[in-house]
Amino acid sequence: MVLLQLDPFLNELTSMFEQSTEKGTVWVTLKRSSLKSKVQRNKMATAGEPVEYRCLIRATNGKKTISTSVGAKDHQRFQASYTTILKAHMTALKKRERKDKKKAAGADKKEGSKKP
Amino acid sequence: MVYITSWDEFVERSAQLFRADPDSTRYVMKYRHCDGKLVLKVTDNKECLKFKTDQAQDAKKMEKLNNIFFTLMSRGPDADVSKLQGKNRQKHNQGKEGEGNNSFVGC
Repeated sequence: MVLLQLDPFLNELTSMFEQSTEKGTVWVTLKRSSLKSKVQRNKMATAGEPVEYRCLIRATNGKKTISTSVGAKDHQRFQASYTTILKAHMTALKKRERKDKKKAAGADKKEGSKKP
Repeated sequence: MVYITSWDEFVERSAQLFRADPDSTRYVMKYRHCDGKLVLKVTDNKECLKFKTDQAQDAKKMEKLNNIFFTLMSRGPDADVSKLQGKNRQKHNQGKEGEGNNSFVGC
């Protein structure tokens, strides 16, 4: 399991998507974690210190796993980059057929005007 | 597997699941370009919610859900995501009305 910084993680994630275009899967997991053991957390709670939580993000293509952890400060920036990567690579999904929608919407309008 | 058909229901229940147990809830996304399929899973190791799709429009909705989860996870379960969810609901309501009319026209 490779723990990376934010930007290298994003780069590796991009290359994972590119490599698994013809064949393969990309898994991305999001989990909240404080990255400390239960004992440490209990100690911190009793001592009155606030436990700092981060968002743990893991990505794998079945063979290689990479991970990174994002705190509240970095999450906006990471979110933006992550969204961009996903949009760029999830191109195999079917697009909605707008023609049917437009025809139906047109028919609805006509019906709506006839009724009153 | 517990596949949910309604996107809004999936979002609603995932958020509830997370708020109930933030330490053990995780959100998994699986994407297969060769099949053109996307599967989302939210589980707290007791209950599991899944959503699968092959539609590009759901990828957009998923991005919003990603935002919600990022906010909840990095800022804590009490973070305010009402703005993020509110937008979804408005759009979906419009969509629902449209769909209702379509079926009526079909008959």
